[in-house]
Amino acid sequence: MSDFARAVEQLRPQLMRFAQMQLKNEAWAEDAVSETLLAALERPQAFAGQSQLKTWLVGILKHKLIDQLRKHTREVSTTTADDEADLDEQLFAADGHWREAPKDWGDPEHCLRQADFFAVLEACVDKLPGVQGRLFMMREWLELDTDEICKELAITPTNLWVMLHRASLRLRDCLQLSWFAGAQA
Amino acid sequence: MKLMKNCREVTGLTLQSLDRELSWQERLAVRLHMVICSACPKFARRAQFMRSAMGRWKSYSEQEKR
Repeated sequence: MSDFARAVEQLRPQLMRFAQMQLKNEAWAEDAVSETLLAALERPQAFAGQSQLKTWLVGILKHKLIDQLRKHTREVSTTTADDEADLDEQLFAADGHWREAPKDWGDPEHCLRQADFFAVLEACVDKLPGVQGRLFMMREWLELDTDEICKELAITPTNLWVMLHRASLRLRDCLQLSWFAGAQA
Repeated sequence: MKLMKNCREVTGLTLQSLDRELSWQERLAVRLHMVICSACPKFARRAQFMRSAMGRWKSYSEQEKR
C-alpha cells in the first residue's frame, strides 16, 4: 500500500463518524465513505497538497453524502414518533408563555475553546431523532440552504421549519442538561 | 397580523430569523415582545450561541488533527 493510500485509509473512521451523523444509517454511511475513499485513491493526482488531506476528503464525502440523501429521499424524510413529538407542548403553556423561563447561560463563549464541549455537542446532535438530525446536519454541516433542502427531500418549507425548530429546542435542552447544568447556574 | 405575539410564537420567529429574513411586521412584533419579556431575550442569545457553536464545531472537527 502506498503512503497515500495508507494516509487515506487512516481517515476512514473519522469520515464514518461524519457520514453516520449526517445519514443516521450505517449501511448508507458505509457506501458514502467507500465511494469517497475509492474516488480519492483513483485520482490521487487530484490531491495537489494545497489543502490538508482530511479537508480534501471531507469535501469529497459531502458530495457522496448528498448523493446518498438523494438516493434515499423517501426514507430520509420519513418521520418517527420521536420526530413528531411536540416539544412546544412541554415548553409552553396553553397561553403561549414559557412554563419555565430559559436559564441564562451567562457568557458561554469560553466553552468554544474547550474540546470537551464539542464532544458533548456532537453527542447531543447524535441524539436527535432521524429526520431532525439529518435536516439539522444538512443545514449546519453540509451548509445547504433551506430551499435546497426542501427541493432535495421534496418536503414543504413549513415542514422543514417545524423539524428544524424541534431540533433546535432539543439541542438546547440537551446542552442544558449535559453541559450547562453542571458548569454554571 | 396581530402585533402582540406570545413567547411561543416569538421563539419560532427567533429561530427562523437565523435562516431567513423576517418581514418588517415580524421584526417589529419580535422587538415589541423582547421589550416586555425577560425570557425570550435569553432564548435569543442562546440561539445565537448555538449557531456560532456549530460553526466552530465544523471547523474544529474538520481539522487535520484532533
